[in-house]
Amino acid sequence: MNTDYDVLVIGAGIAGEESALKLADMGFRVLVIEKEPSIGGKMILLSKVFPTLDCAACITTPKVSETARHPNITLLTLTEAESIVKENNELFSVSLKKHPRYVNEQDCTGCQECERACPAIVEDQFQFNLVARKAVYIPFSIANPRIALIDIENCMLCGLCEQKCPSGCIDFTQKEEIIKVKVKAVIVATGFKLFDPTLIPRYGYGRFKNVITSMQMERELAPTRPFNNVLRPSDGKTPGNIAYIFCTGSRDQTCGNAICSQVCCMYSTKQAQLLMGALPMADITLYYINIRAFGKGFDEFYMQAKDMGANYVKGKVASVTEKENGNLVLRYEDIATGKVSEQEHDLVVLSVGLLANPAIVDVFKNETLETDTSHYIHQPDLLQNPALTSIKGVFVAGTATAPMDIPDTILSAGAAAAETSGYLKLQS
Amino acid sequence: MKKKIGVYICHCGGNISDYVDIQKVKDAVKDEANVYLLKNTMFACSDSSQKEMVEDIQTGQLDAIVVASCSPKLHVPTFRAVAERGGLNPYNYVQVNIREQSSWAHSDNKMGATEKAILLVKAGIARASESEALIPMKIPATNAVAVIGAGVGGMRSAIALADMGSEVYLIEKEEMVGGHTADMEALFPTGIRGKELVGNLSSEIRKRGNIKLFTHAELIEKKGGIGNFDIKVRVGEETLPLHIGAFVVNTGFDSYEPKKGEYRYGELENVITLPAFKKLIDTSEGELVYQGRTIKKIAYIYCVGSRQDQMGDNKYCSRYCCTAAIHSSLEVKRKFRNITNLHFNRGIRAYGKQELLYNESSTNGDIYLQFALDSIPQIEQKGNKTIVKVKDILTAGKIVSTEADLVVLVTGMVPRRNDDLVSLLKIPIGRDHFFNEIHMKLRPVETVIDGVFIAGTCQAPKNILETINSSMAAAAKANSILTKGEISLDPTLAMVNPAACILCDKCFSACVFDAIAETEYEGRNVAKIIESNCKGCGMCTPVCPTDAIELAGFTNAQVEGMIDALSES
Repeated sequence: MNTDYDVLVIGAGIAGEESALKLADMGFRVLVIEKEPSIGGKMILLSKVFPTLDCAACITTPKVSETARHPNITLLTLTEAESIVKENNELFSVSLKKHPRYVNEQDCTGCQECERACPAIVEDQFQFNLVARKAVYIPFSIANPRIALIDIENCMLCGLCEQKCPSGCIDFTQKEEIIKVKVKAVIVATGFKLFDPTLIPRYGYGRFKNVITSMQMERELAPTRPFNNVLRPSDGKTPGNIAYIFCTGSRDQTCGNAICSQVCCMYSTKQAQLLMGALPMADITLYYINIRAFGKGFDEFYMQAKDMGANYVKGKVASVTEKENGNLVLRYEDIATGKVSEQEHDLVVLSVGLLANPAIVDVFKNETLETDTSHYIHQPDLLQNPALTSIKGVFVAGTATAPMDIPDTILSAGAAAAETSGYLKLQS
Repeated sequence: MKKKIGVYICHCGGNISDYVDIQKVKDAVKDEANVYLLKNTMFACSDSSQKEMVEDIQTGQLDAIVVASCSPKLHVPTFRAVAERGGLNPYNYVQVNIREQSSWAHSDNKMGATEKAILLVKAGIARASESEALIPMKIPATNAVAVIGAGVGGMRSAIALADMGSEVYLIEKEEMVGGHTADMEALFPTGIRGKELVGNLSSEIRKRGNIKLFTHAELIEKKGGIGNFDIKVRVGEETLPLHIGAFVVNTGFDSYEPKKGEYRYGELENVITLPAFKKLIDTSEGELVYQGRTIKKIAYIYCVGSRQDQMGDNKYCSRYCCTAAIHSSLEVKRKFRNITNLHFNRGIRAYGKQELLYNESSTNGDIYLQFALDSIPQIEQKGNKTIVKVKDILTAGKIVSTEADLVVLVTGMVPRRNDDLVSLLKIPIGRDHFFNEIHMKLRPVETVIDGVFIAGTCQAPKNILETINSSMAAAAKANSILTKGEISLDPTLAMVNPAACILCDKCFSACVFDAIAETEYEGRNVAKIIESNCKGCGMCTPVCPTDAIELAGFTNAQVEGMIDALSES
């Protein structure tokens, strides 16, 4: 059977990269598509990773560059799958939509002259809105590809970038492209969404400036951090008394997510350790229901945080109120005393959970990609063949199946590669 | 001869530059011999930095590059590939570790960390100055894998490998396949029975001609290296020689066996472990009866053998037991009437979707009590009544005392003792005594021994899904290496200069890999290196009295140059 590629991998976070690399190493031709302008998913935006405290960039960039460079991998960024139709001959006809970058990918050198020239200032989504970026921008410093794109929604079409670009690569005439390919198999590695904490209004996110999400704190702690220090947003003050609210949007049927997000206990514990390093004078209090430190080295890591002085308080936070000076008062059930208590903090971090990202199911036109009760991709033969989905020839990897941490994601992606390779060998 | 060396000092975000003064390092090494180009970079491993290095090598016609960043374990392959893309021989690349060895080790002494970094970089430049191009030797690789252990993980590894085109030898020490899972009834969350899962996997194995299953079998000998291991397997009375390219070790776990007296285990007959309780559920019909006593009220005590304090060996969480206990407690309620479940736990870790099971249990009316390690539940026998007493965290430290017909100790996983296999394959053991991977995220199924992969619960506690995922991932990794048909051997090998060799025998006893043999040279016997056995460990070079042995990549000239640079201060 003649096809353009053996496998289409949808999503180039760590799961998609790992699956693609394993299959490419086995000699299969792999097409990887990523809807964002850079590959690397969420991991590339993290600071350090638990429980080893390796910097996330150091761990993820080797796989990012290998994916971008592998001779058997073709990579398309800013590209989404629009429709996938299974043919009678078991092949998949795929229609891809490649969004215009308005920058010629081959010619851009990443010099950032355009960024300096651009007068349009908008919130930087890759810094989780902590700072601003320009309308023409390189997503982040370790992006791959590290080239510019134009956010046309916010562009004033002033043409200054075009004038300043030394390689003449700005191209406003670029159009959306539809690319049609045929593949033998598909791997869904579309990852997860972060819980939107405005859905829990009593925590004040979006209203109180000093209530931030854990992802924003992740950025404040990252080597490519926006402020070069940990600050609180309202006045730029260095926080001295930071609170974490665990299970924000997890284990909570009132906001539609009954399951545990599996990573928040540990990433919060990690952030607490990093904060104690960055701000030795700061008090860190973590309000939790249960600490789920279950993986290899995790419980030891949790004990280490306690030994370093992190203050773990068992109790669910009911509400957050703001004082005039921007400080926040947490009202919570203190399990240790059995009483409702209040405590003041100058920065509150919401440990937001992971949610399923099931938009991909609509892309499959003539077969149904089933989801489970938590809206993750359903694994019909979970304990024997976990990479199988409800569609023959479509496999699933990583957090598209359930919340999971980085090591589990890598293993799940390896399993998807094994399953896909076996399937392709059987087909040929 | 004057060489052109490019030197890159990495900030590693702030991992290095927060402690090591990068500018000082640059100033100190800029005048070193052969330094042609000197740069610092935020992340040397980022794609843009890599591209820059490739350009520098090409435009500057560099002879060697040095990157001062993190441990070679992490990024030697990355930068060797950079050298190669720039047109350099990859062995003209030298990595200097100023993170693990400077900034992280001396985070309390920034000046000292900087001084040490300077010396290490100078030594690296000295080593690069004497570096020579080396050509890796390519050898044919056998696409056959020995999977050690036929629990569900090993069985799944075998099937995955077979489907990807590898020959598989599945080696099981017991008479039966399936390991612990074969003894289990309904499994979370799908409800499939353990026997049924094992049965399915067995029939898949039988369908595949390229899997050979040996039960009552044991690996007894191993020679050679990745791509070409010669092994001997004892099957019953026979010994079978096999030629394989890699191992997937999937030897599983043991259940923690409580000490006598631990929660009155071994003293009170109605204190049993979770595996024993599961068997009891399976074998009882109509009414739940244990030792002649009808069971209505069951107390589960969690974290037995896991998350221990200083007194115990097991600091880790066994991961699967919270959910396993809840699952069993739901099963027992489903099967028998009027059961009351009391869960004495240390914080329920029903992570991910397992939370749904915990929800179901709570909704069902199960009672959860929580204790801390410094006030564990006390079990007392009063007449024919067993009383469990605990200081309950969830009710502000109230002392709760309750009768129980049966006490179930929720026992965790412990690493299986496998001393013979460990010494045969030289598998590294972690602090928790489970097998250790190279890197939990980058290389989670590889060990530092090339060609020896690990999967399943021999690596760490895992549930079945996680075991299957890791078993398939190990299969994918092994296959992706062997399927190419050839393997490059690291050219970092010892070399004997026969003219200088006096055959004194010292190198023979220093070598732990049987890589030195005798050969004839100009009418006399001298030592020679068996290249496929040599691991480049360097044990033979310093013992040679006539300097007749050199290690490629670490020649005497290189090492002496490094020592000179380090002793400059």
